[in-house]
Amino acid sequence: METRLGYAAGAGPDGVKIWPAYLCFIIFGILMPFSKPEFKFTTLLLSLIIAIAVGFMAVNILIMAFNSGNADLRQTDGGFAREAVGSGMLFMIPFTVLAILAMVVLGWNAIMPFASAAVTTAAATAGTEAMKKGAQGIKNVLIPTVAAMVVSTVWMLLVGILP
Amino acid sequence: MNAIAPTAEPRWKTALNMIMNPGEIVKNQMIKIPWPYSLTISGLSFMLFFLQTGLDLLRSGQATTGTVVLMAMLGLLYGTAGIALLAVMVWALSQAEQRGLDMEWAISTFALGYSATFVYALSGLIFSLAFGWKTAVAFGVTGLLWALRPTMFTIKQMSGDRVAFSIAMTTLCGAILLMGWALLGKFGG
Repeated sequence: METRLGYAAGAGPDGVKIWPAYLCFIIFGILMPFSKPEFKFTTLLLSLIIAIAVGFMAVNILIMAFNSGNADLRQTDGGFAREAVGSGMLFMIPFTVLAILAMVVLGWNAIMPFASAAVTTAAATAGTEAMKKGAQGIKNVLIPTVAAMVVSTVWMLLVGILP
Repeated sequence: MNAIAPTAEPRWKTALNMIMNPGEIVKNQMIKIPWPYSLTISGLSFMLFFLQTGLDLLRSGQATTGTVVLMAMLGLLYGTAGIALLAVMVWALSQAEQRGLDMEWAISTFALGYSATFVYALSGLIFSLAFGWKTAVAFGVTGLLWALRPTMFTIKQMSGDRVAFSIAMTTLCGAILLMGWALLGKFGG
């Protein structure tokens, strides 16, 4: 079946799917403690909280950045930013699946590069989606990319200090 | 070839732009990039990546100098024949010919997506040689992951913007490349 998520003409914010992005953040949150030498339930709990918080922060920073940088477009299409972020963040899925494969099949304990690449790629893709919807300028790709790099660095630091 | 509006931009610049803005390059710039040029980039990327894998194994006493050379050659083969085969497989599955995209376009665009891998692999090699670090995973795998974005845009273009298909195929390509690297690494080591 052919799917065109996020591309349906005139799709309102109600049709936007952000949950796959949150699911990816949650999966990364679950995987992180298994990359530590010793598994602890408290680490898993903290890692999940951090992952959800980082995901919430990433999604909302992106929506805010697109809205504030494209005031004219926001006037005509109030839900464009959320739609762009929803479509772009879907591209976290390949990285999440690969992280699971790397951990389960290859036995790697390096999950953060996957998470970092996932967030940054998804943010840049969200920028491209915003431009498709009429947002003007390369800033719509560059600002989300930089914001995602900052968010993933913060995530990495927080994961590093987990017990 | 269906690409439009060729410009006078040098090829190396197009290759670097593939990292920053793959959507634009995939749509409009690929007509002037011949597939041997793109395959050279992907070939070198994987050669350097596999070379670092060999150097890591050499440092831990699991490989000889001959094995390191063999692994680099395997990387070259992987980055040229392997990537070309992967591109042809995705091209066939996405029925890109119906959208006016020929096999050469698919190979060229797919392979040029590994510009990011090249940058990471080159940086990794410098750190590996200068500081003796183990860089295959930190730089090589990270570079491979960064190539997934251009891959996604290439597949989206080939499949006529089918998002679910693009996500599934990008995941499959990433998995094939990662697993292949891990298997060849074991073989080489």
